[in-house]
Amino acid sequence: MFTQNLNRRVFVKKMATSAAVVSAVSLFPGIVFAEEQQVNLTEDNLNWKKAPCRFCGVGCGLLIGISNGKAVAVKGDPRSSVNKGLACVKGYHSVMALYGKDRLKKPLVKKNGVFVETSMKEALDLVASKMSETIKNHGKDAVSIYGSGQWAIPDGYIASKLFKGCIGTNNIEANARLCMASAVTGFMTSFGMDEPMGCYEDIDYANVFVLWGNNMAEMHPVLFSRMLDQRQKRGIKIIDFATRTTRTSNAADKSILFKPQTDLAVANAICYEIIKNNWVNKNFVETNCKFQKGKTNIGHGLTDDFKFKDEPEQIDFDAFKVFLEDYIPEKVEKYSGVAARDIKYMAALYGDPNKKVVSFWCMGPNQHTRGTWMNNLIYNIHLLTGKISSPGNSPFSLTGQPSACGTAREVGTFTHKLPKGLVANEKDRAFAAKIWGVPVENIPDKPTHHTMSMFRALDRGEIKFMWIQVTNPMVTIPNLNRYRKGAEKEGRFIVVSDVYPTPTTDVADVILPSAMWIEKTGLFGNSERRTQFWEQMLTPPGEAMDDGKQLLEVAERLGYGKYFQYSKENYAEEVYNEYTQFHAGKKHGMAPLEVLKKEAGMIWPFVDGKPTKWRFNSKYDPACEKEGFHFYGNEDGKAVIWQRPYEAPAESPDSEYPFWLNTGRVVEHWHTGSMTRRISVLHKAVPNSYVELNPEEAKELGIKNRDRVRITSRRGTIVMLASVNERGVPPRGQVFVPFFDEHFLINELTLDSYCPISNEPDYKKCAVKIEKV
Amino acid sequence: MKRLKIISFVVFLMIAAVIIIGRSIKATYEKTSIDENDKSLNSEHDSILLHVNILDVNNIIDKNARFKNTAKYFSNRAYEGAPPTVPHEVEGTQIGGKACLKCHETGGYVDKFKANAPIVPHPNFENCIQCHVPVNTKNEFKDSNWELVTNKSSSEITNQALLTSPPVIPHTITKTDDCLSCHSGLGIKKVRVTHPERTNCRQCHVPKYTQKDEQDEFIRKPLVNN
Repeated sequence: MFTQNLNRRVFVKKMATSAAVVSAVSLFPGIVFAEEQQVNLTEDNLNWKKAPCRFCGVGCGLLIGISNGKAVAVKGDPRSSVNKGLACVKGYHSVMALYGKDRLKKPLVKKNGVFVETSMKEALDLVASKMSETIKNHGKDAVSIYGSGQWAIPDGYIASKLFKGCIGTNNIEANARLCMASAVTGFMTSFGMDEPMGCYEDIDYANVFVLWGNNMAEMHPVLFSRMLDQRQKRGIKIIDFATRTTRTSNAADKSILFKPQTDLAVANAICYEIIKNNWVNKNFVETNCKFQKGKTNIGHGLTDDFKFKDEPEQIDFDAFKVFLEDYIPEKVEKYSGVAARDIKYMAALYGDPNKKVVSFWCMGPNQHTRGTWMNNLIYNIHLLTGKISSPGNSPFSLTGQPSACGTAREVGTFTHKLPKGLVANEKDRAFAAKIWGVPVENIPDKPTHHTMSMFRALDRGEIKFMWIQVTNPMVTIPNLNRYRKGAEKEGRFIVVSDVYPTPTTDVADVILPSAMWIEKTGLFGNSERRTQFWEQMLTPPGEAMDDGKQLLEVAERLGYGKYFQYSKENYAEEVYNEYTQFHAGKKHGMAPLEVLKKEAGMIWPFVDGKPTKWRFNSKYDPACEKEGFHFYGNEDGKAVIWQRPYEAPAESPDSEYPFWLNTGRVVEHWHTGSMTRRISVLHKAVPNSYVELNPEEAKELGIKNRDRVRITSRRGTIVMLASVNERGVPPRGQVFVPFFDEHFLINELTLDSYCPISNEPDYKKCAVKIEKV
Repeated sequence: MKRLKIISFVVFLMIAAVIIIGRSIKATYEKTSIDENDKSLNSEHDSILLHVNILDVNNIIDKNARFKNTAKYFSNRAYEGAPPTVPHEVEGTQIGGKACLKCHETGGYVDKFKANAPIVPHPNFENCIQCHVPVNTKNEFKDSNWELVTNKSSSEITNQALLTSPPVIPHTITKTDDCLSCHSGLGIKKVRVTHPERTNCRQCHVPKYTQKDEQDEFIRKPLVNN
């Protein structure tokens, strides 16, 4: 605040200065009024329209400045309760991703190994004829679609209806399998219902934030800034629990490092301490929780024929206590590298009845060969202490894609899912068939392939046709060498819908140019269950077309037009209205379009004109059927505390490959960089990927910053630049590589092991060796 | 005769005062952007009184008169209002915070970089690298059709009701704006104000647009119903 006292002398001096400035202005107007360089002068006023950000799962509200049919500026939407007017560098420059010179504008068809331009009509004809030919010759399960958490809700919905409801195959997956599947199975096994119970408003009430393997300063910067803001105002604490030192660690109040995979043991040790010190909220646990254990030694999904089904078994509190005896902090310290006092410190924060705690996590616990377990274990801590489903007490699973929740999870663009329920349940199939207006026999009752299995089936040749939309698997699939070769084999037909050429369009037989983001009308759903609508603001370039419209065109050609009676201009809204029938009711009711058009998004369940901010708590959630807490996802209304042990990952460093390889992101680039690298500001900030080394080890290996380094795993090898003491600093025995760069395909090195429950691969752990080139 | 001299001198002074004041006010309403449709103003709190040390700005100018102009303003911004990139080296292991604020909280000449550090309009945000990234290459990944479109107009605009009334604010104000970071000595010289020391800008300068769609227009009921 303005505290400086102006004494008379200073005041006179200021007046004199001002007068001097004024005189200078009047005597030499040129000083102040010199003609400045004027750039692309336009008399038109900007027109600001709202849209959720195109990039991550935080779902910031943006205002897009439109002038003369072009997007020219961005600002954070102050009315959005997500970001309150702030954005990050990707959001601020997001509109520039629309204007790359190599934007795909015409469909391309591969003829004799070269791409030839064609018309949209012909390209779609070809796609449809290839599809029906494949179905005729090889069966329905030989065609597949692979989408993403960047599908707008209508796109994903149309894809699911077409493949499951009309064609009759469950061969639909989304790249959200690679990032959110463990979060989903975590929610399903613990609560019987997907998605976080709290919302971002928890940040305004919590006293302690524990970040589980989550570099939020870079990956969820807007939420991180909201936490920093609370720290200034209320003195909250941020604990960074991670495998390497990042910008988040440096900004946190305390940074605790653990060895890869041992988060399982530390979480159990925290539970042990909570019980030992009588910090258990007994009343809460007795009325609202039950204890279960599942199978152990569950494998890593490395072979094509791998199958797993968990068999949950009821146990009691005493059995759970006995199980935790293996995780006394002093024991866990030995292999986790986390000092027992740090484990006790974290337990004390969770255990303190006067502190509200939010746990945040994203890819750390999710991309984990025991991802489902890790999610369960974090819920265990919150359930034992009763710190859940109330303002400021929140185990909060964050997402990485703008509609991982809204489309992939809620529409259910996975092989086992329907928009509501599972394909395996007769009731759910009947319900879906009714809304879709298709014969119920159309929907097959058995799930087919999850993502890794789907790419393996493509390699083996069981899948002959794959349509890839809004994602770039030829950069992101682990153990990439195998799956790229698979996609390139004879007799495979790959259709790719995208906005720019990528390594995935390289393997395509047909490339369809897509309309992007604000070039169409759409909806996204973010991490806090917020559904956001935007209207079309720009005309797509050339023949570029919405992903949803491409699907509708092909559906028409396959003879399913009668199931897709939407108007051409307004299909997105009509699809949304049809879709929301699936979720009607107090548990998942979604806000109607007229509300979404007005507001900067709305949280579901949307009941009686109001969002439900905290689920499962009768104070806030009208769906609760009893006083206090009611975890209505499970039939008995109880949440599950799971007995989940520590188990080793599929591959650990050894004498031949002595380093852990961890992969991830940087704040500037999003996903595979196909959009953000075409944004000048972002590309210039981080022009290429690199390998972060521990400074001491780099010295021992004679590697300096920017030296060329060969990094090799059992599956592949690449040469890239070393980064020493720059952005992140891994501890001894670990290296880190951002995965966005298509010139350095780090996923050729990663291992395609996955969590047997969620089938989500582990991108964070495999063994590599490092040599100076 | 003497009286006439005095009167004419006073008249001369008055005319001079009118011209000087007029010009100085004119200097403050040089347009940078106009946005009629924006309905998103944040609270007064965010954009005033953030800088308690702003008064030193005038001294800084005297020593190192390197004013910013609009070309400079756009040299590291993608569009008007975009977060500027960082033109100097930064240490990557930190989110920014105090390390950045050391120079950018008050702005002024920094010997290390031989340049004037601009004042950060939002010193309350610590996670600097969230929006401000360095420039590590001159090359592009792929060329772009992106064009910088400014809404800058050289034509006169009427953002004053009366000749001497305080001009209204012709541009949008975002969450991260602090008037003085652009309108004081280290900002763009075209839009510098003559009175940075007052700091409570919105006491006199109000936004041009109203939040029309937020609320129905107020219509007083007639006193007598006929």
